[in-house]
Amino acid sequence: MGLVARARSFWRSVVHRSSLEQALADELQFHIAARADDLVARRGLSPGEALRAARLEFGSVERYKEESRQSLGLRLIDEARADMRYAARTFARSKAFTAAAVATLALGIGATTAIFSVIDAVILRLLPVQRPEELVRLLVQRTGRPAGYSFTNPLWEAIRDQQDVFSTAFAWSAPTEFLLTDGPATRSIQGIVVSGDFFQGLGIAPELGRLVANVDDHRGCRPLAVLGHRFWRTQFAASPSAIGNAVILNGRPVEVIGVTGPEFHGINVGRTFDVALPLCASALFDPQNVESRGRWWLSVMGRPRPGVLPDHITASLGVLSPRIMATALPPASPAAQQEFLTRTLVSEPGGGGASDLRRDFRDPLNVLMVIVAIVLLVGAANIASLMLARATTRGREFATRYALGGSRSRLVRQLLTESALLSCAGAALGLLFARWGAPLLVRSLSTANNPIYVDLAFDRRVLAFVTTVTIATVLIVGLMPALRSTRTALIESMKTRSADLDWPRFRLGKLIIAGQVALSLVLLIGGGLLLRTFVKLVSLDLGFDRNNVLVVSARPPRVGAEGTTLPPAARTAAYNDIAARLRSIPGVVSVARAFTTPVGDDNWYSSIHADLPNAPEGDAAACYFNFVAPGYFATLRTPLLGGRDFSEHDAATAPAVAIVNEALARKFFSGSNALGRHFTRSGVPGDVEIVGIVADSKYESVRQTSPATAFFAAAQLPPDRTADEFVLRTAVTPTAVIHAVGQTVAEVHQDISVTVRTLAEQIDDDLVQERLVATLAGFFGALALLLSMIGLYGVLSYLVSKRQIEFGVRIALGAQPASVMRLVLSEMAVVLAGGLVTGLAIAFVTVTLLKGMLFGLEPRDAATMITAVALLAAMALLAAYLPARRATRVDPMIALRSE
Amino acid sequence: VAPEAELLPGTLDLLILKAVSLGAHHGYGVLLRIEQITGGALAIEQGALYPALYRLEHQGLLDTEWGISDNNRKAKFYTLTAAGRKRLKAETDRWQRIALAINTALRAQEA
Repeated sequence: MGLVARARSFWRSVVHRSSLEQALADELQFHIAARADDLVARRGLSPGEALRAARLEFGSVERYKEESRQSLGLRLIDEARADMRYAARTFARSKAFTAAAVATLALGIGATTAIFSVIDAVILRLLPVQRPEELVRLLVQRTGRPAGYSFTNPLWEAIRDQQDVFSTAFAWSAPTEFLLTDGPATRSIQGIVVSGDFFQGLGIAPELGRLVANVDDHRGCRPLAVLGHRFWRTQFAASPSAIGNAVILNGRPVEVIGVTGPEFHGINVGRTFDVALPLCASALFDPQNVESRGRWWLSVMGRPRPGVLPDHITASLGVLSPRIMATALPPASPAAQQEFLTRTLVSEPGGGGASDLRRDFRDPLNVLMVIVAIVLLVGAANIASLMLARATTRGREFATRYALGGSRSRLVRQLLTESALLSCAGAALGLLFARWGAPLLVRSLSTANNPIYVDLAFDRRVLAFVTTVTIATVLIVGLMPALRSTRTALIESMKTRSADLDWPRFRLGKLIIAGQVALSLVLLIGGGLLLRTFVKLVSLDLGFDRNNVLVVSARPPRVGAEGTTLPPAARTAAYNDIAARLRSIPGVVSVARAFTTPVGDDNWYSSIHADLPNAPEGDAAACYFNFVAPGYFATLRTPLLGGRDFSEHDAATAPAVAIVNEALARKFFSGSNALGRHFTRSGVPGDVEIVGIVADSKYESVRQTSPATAFFAAAQLPPDRTADEFVLRTAVTPTAVIHAVGQTVAEVHQDISVTVRTLAEQIDDDLVQERLVATLAGFFGALALLLSMIGLYGVLSYLVSKRQIEFGVRIALGAQPASVMRLVLSEMAVVLAGGLVTGLAIAFVTVTLLKGMLFGLEPRDAATMITAVALLAAMALLAAYLPARRATRVDPMIALRSE
Repeated sequence: VAPEAELLPGTLDLLILKAVSLGAHHGYGVLLRIEQITGGALAIEQGALYPALYRLEHQGLLDTEWGISDNNRKAKFYTLTAAGRKRLKAETDRWQRIALAINTALRAQEA
């Protein structure tokens, strides 16, 4: 009871403050006047005397006014206001301190918020669909392997037709490239295919038109497209007339039936889609998409029927699995088919969406989060020690106020108000910084090959995070100094004129410095490890020479529109023609065609069988394939170690030949000379002779150990595939010939789309995450170092200035400057040593968390640790030297006079 | 005239509620009414009345309204709210129980 009344009365009083003051004054005035009237009437006093008597009887007007305000609960607010004004005045007086403090906090809070908002968007947030927490993702479990997320279309259809636990189940593909004919130009957009229940199952409503529904998804359907909101805005200027129009995808007109809302970007977090087509329509671009039992390209989710529990789903899927697998059995060897039938369907929560991004970036994001949190902590500690120093010099002010009846909690509250002002200003600036920094972070992780799209709108979770961080900062910055300084002030300060004399030890300040040194050391060691990892990756021997090489991807029209078809035979001729013309571009030294290029988009992973007693079998016999034209190894400068390169004689009809790398020779022929040996490929008749051995080189990624790789002649590639990449070695800067390359390809065939980049760029893109993490870790490590050195300098300067008299006396008594210097430095050395030892201990335990992110070095790398310690110690000595020198230059006379 | 007695802690609120319950008064009127109903036996510093009045208003026990006093001055008048009436009744009951108990205790004779 009364709470509402109290709140209302409090609100009224705060809002109508000036009228309240007036009313209070009026009311008391009335009382005194009325009393005076009475006194005149009853006791016959003169008006003057009556007024005086009435005032006496009333007591202190100001005191009762104050007590009345207190009755209204206004005191706290009055005091907070006074504190705020006082703090603002204090800060206005020391502008440099305030600016530095706010900037430090803004950077710290901004960086933590930016990284948290990316973590929120990529890892924490649920999909913007109806009741995302209900969604269940399906996986295929096979013995001895991690469960897989991919499904073939026949397998998906079997699940759809036979499952009995989901009210709706749906399948979709990750975004893939479609070529959009846009006026005269062709450009690449991202498309997904979705099964009929996809939108309905997710509970997505159209922004415009209608979405793909069950009736649209049947074998032999006509192609339809639902547009992503962003694509609709950019391509159709958000016009409603888009509906019923056609977009030309891969040379085929597709009718637009609807547009999704702005918040929906598909299920693959980190990606977005421009168009969504019904699953069945993908058959128009490649019939194998729907027919093949070996093409694993779909993902499957379901929404359980009401009341179906997770256990029930697991049990039901387990029972159904054998029949579903049998329905979708792929053609393979009997042993492989037997294994296929033992696979089972399992499920996991699907509300967060599907994302490779999450798997790839979880560790780096967490590491970055820890790094920036430490930087914030170090920065806040700096401000705390400065506040502490300031509060100490204000010791006498506090003591006086205490003596005059100020309570300790009141003084603490005032100091906290100061830190709250600083922190809130820092947080406000930091939010701006984060709004700019988070998209920048995502952009720097995004590459041409792997575009990342993340919805970074600040949601409630991010705001809660900022609030928590700000409150924590207020407490770190303000509470400790406040409690510490007021405690001493009360007891000591009144006793002696020079209360500060008790402070030179400044133990808390030194503890803060030691803590900062420890944290900075941890950051330096972590940052050093990540930097060295990156340097190692960049300077790695890749097995080829990345410089002066251009990679040209010339995608054939997948399904030609009428009149522009490019059948296999014509295609081979066209691509040979392109190679010949590229060779004649001035500045181009050599050209070779290939199915894929190192660390490129495509890979071919398959098993081979060597007829040897101990040769690997089954899954262990897998290796990478590439199909390359003569001159490929010379162009990339991969050394040919034995045998011969491919030649024009290795034609489609000639005996199958292969060049293998050393890793393959080691793996399958156990070091004995592999040259002249034969092997067979799984699923391909006929055997292959090894005619050459090349040095190992990277295939899929720079981090990967160069894998066993077999190279086949490009002319012997199966007819349904194309060796559509070219590597060009140039004598000039590779980028100088890009224009000529585009023209050359267009001369040969209009509908071949070309993307060109240098091999060096292709390698760089593979290391984008490592580069970003190393750069940020290095930057924030340096920042933490700088901040803690500033802190050390500040605290030591303060200590020296407080001990001027002592140093003056020492010098007057004949102390040498060197001994004074030693005195100061040795005191700091203890603090520094404490910090370093603590930091090393922390680092020793925590660096193992980085293990997965390092390359070519162990987490407890001695060289890195020693370098970090040496660097920190050197910087600390430099930071301490300046104030120490000042101590040796104290003029004894000035120091003594001030006593 | 008997010497004025010190006010027991907490009783001022009760007296104010009682005085206001007897009719709408301005602050000075409340004071006069208290003096009247207590026969002037209790000493109240006049100013101390106001923090108590504001406290009761803050708690929603009193309503206020500005009006004109008998001698034509602008004054703030207090009335009891429903919550105030309930509180007065509860406090009165409580006081009487305590008073009875204390009286009984003090009247006890040696047996």
